Amino acid sequence: MAEHAISIRNLTKVFPIPFRRERVVAVRDLSLDVEPGQVYGLLGPNGSGKSTTMKIVLGLVPPTAGSTQIFGRDSSFVESREEVGFLPENPYFYKFLTGEETLRFFGKLCGLRGAKLRERTNELLALVRLENARDRRLGGYSKGMLQRIGLAQALIQNPRLLVLDEPTAGVDPAGSREIRDLILDFKKRGITVLLCSHLLGQVQEICDRIGILHQGVLVREGRLEELISIENQTELILENSTPELLRQIEADIAKSGARIVEMRKPQTTLERFFLEVTSDKK
Amino acid sequence: MTATAHKFFSPARIGAIASNTLLELVRLKVFYFLLIFALIMIGSSAFMVRFTFAEQFQVLKDVSLGAMSIFTWLLSVLATAMLLPKDIEDRTLYTILAKPVPRLEYLLGKLIGVLLLLLVSTLVMSAMFAIALYLRQQTVIAETMRTTPPEQVAEAIRNIKASTFTINLVPGVITIYLKAALFASLTLFISTYASSWIFTILISVAVYIIGHLQSTARDYWLASGDAGALTKIFLAIVSLIFPDLQLFNLIDDIVAGNAIAMAMFLKTCGLGVLYACIYLLVAYFVFANKEL
Repeated sequence: MAEHAISIRNLTKVFPIPFRRERVVAVRDLSLDVEPGQVYGLLGPNGSGKSTTMKIVLGLVPPTAGSTQIFGRDSSFVESREEVGFLPENPYFYKFLTGEETLRFFGKLCGLRGAKLRERTNELLALVRLENARDRRLGGYSKGMLQRIGLAQALIQNPRLLVLDEPTAGVDPAGSREIRDLILDFKKRGITVLLCSHLLGQVQEICDRIGILHQGVLVREGRLEELISIENQTELILENSTPELLRQIEADIAKSGARIVEMRKPQTTLERFFLEVTSDKK
Repeated sequence: MTATAHKFFSPARIGAIASNTLLELVRLKVFYFLLIFALIMIGSSAFMVRFTFAEQFQVLKDVSLGAMSIFTWLLSVLATAMLLPKDIEDRTLYTILAKPVPRLEYLLGKLIGVLLLLLVSTLVMSAMFAIALYLRQQTVIAETMRTTPPEQVAEAIRNIKASTFTINLVPGVITIYLKAALFASLTLFISTYASSWIFTILISVAVYIIGHLQSTARDYWLASGDAGALTKIFLAIVSLIFPDLQLFNLIDDIVAGNAIAMAMFLKTCGLGVLYACIYLLVAYFVFANKEL
């Protein structure tokens, strides 16, 4: 049987409330697999158990019941993290370090040294386009730059799996687009990505498969296009069509017994429009 | 592809965390407190002209070693108390522990970083103290040469030199460092379960007071003769949990010029290292099971 990038089996996490008899069930009997090379979106409202699931996968929190594995290794073992890069939500890192020092620090934690560490640092600074800010302290970085240096540190040991918690939270549309493009680039390189995000439009653009958590329970899971496509409807977009052609199509449709649900001019997305306008001004 | 095969215990990883911790504290400008130490020494010199030379050296040693002891202790508690809560608040801890870094290595790295800071601070303060002592010695020698009959000058200078730099100063400085190291380890342990750094500092201060008073309280209760079995058990538990900090106080002996017994000094060093190791071990057990 092929090895899963992430395998979660009957995972339950219960948090006791201090000084009370009550308990909060953050995750309830969750089972799912993420295959190598996939971009998997874990969605859900606040408090649905997404971050707890991520923390258990990363070995930061022990499960109450069940198990999680990363490439076949139990994630409670430290060595399972050799294959993982993690970007937490709203990371700050050490503000007193420069961009380059940050990457060197995380590289050393992963066993990189000397020329190899220097090369990897330069390579990643170029990838996330922070070469010009390499000597600036993170205290002076913008939100988007922090997210990008965060992605770079997550990639420092060349991991096979990236766990990203709200990677575009608080980032402007241009920065958000850059991060989205980076994730698509990771996908091309065969890196598995587990993504938590509230930005459903972005998830729809980049994820192959999604799971929706609600009150700690996995309520839907599957391939994105299977989950959101409307089986009995077809979308047809025409270019340079004449009014006569449209009338003829409408007549044919009426004759066949089918029904036109909606006919309208396609629109660009607000994000694309915003990026076009702001890039012209530069 | 992984960078290197995972090592269960890596001095290189600990070194990376330790040097980063030291860099953090240096860039937070904690060394500025050394200026206050320098000011205290300069200020204390201003009152010395009225004393005899022996008294001058005693006051200088008393003030300087006392200030060193307070400053290193304060630095160890304040620097250590904020390390862990800050990493949790900034989520830096998540990114570090999401790398293949065992929690023991993280704690060790943090502690070693603080110990390096304390070492540098103690060495700088010792150097400042030695310079102040040397300058005072030269002033006193110059004055003695001016006021003493020529046939007594050599003897007077020998006396001055003998009461300036004594071998006792070395164990004095070492015990000051060890006490600060013990508190760094204790503060790290408290911060593994504390909910805020203020709580951590308050508990560390409480331990400092208990540690200094416990031997006096114990002697008083036991000497009064009416200590019951429960009191004795309570005293035994207190003296087991809290180190007797009076043992680390060699300043009075140094100022008085009393010889410090090697056996006593080694016992104090052993006790300091033992308590620091125990606190670190307990910190690890708490931190290993902490839900982040």
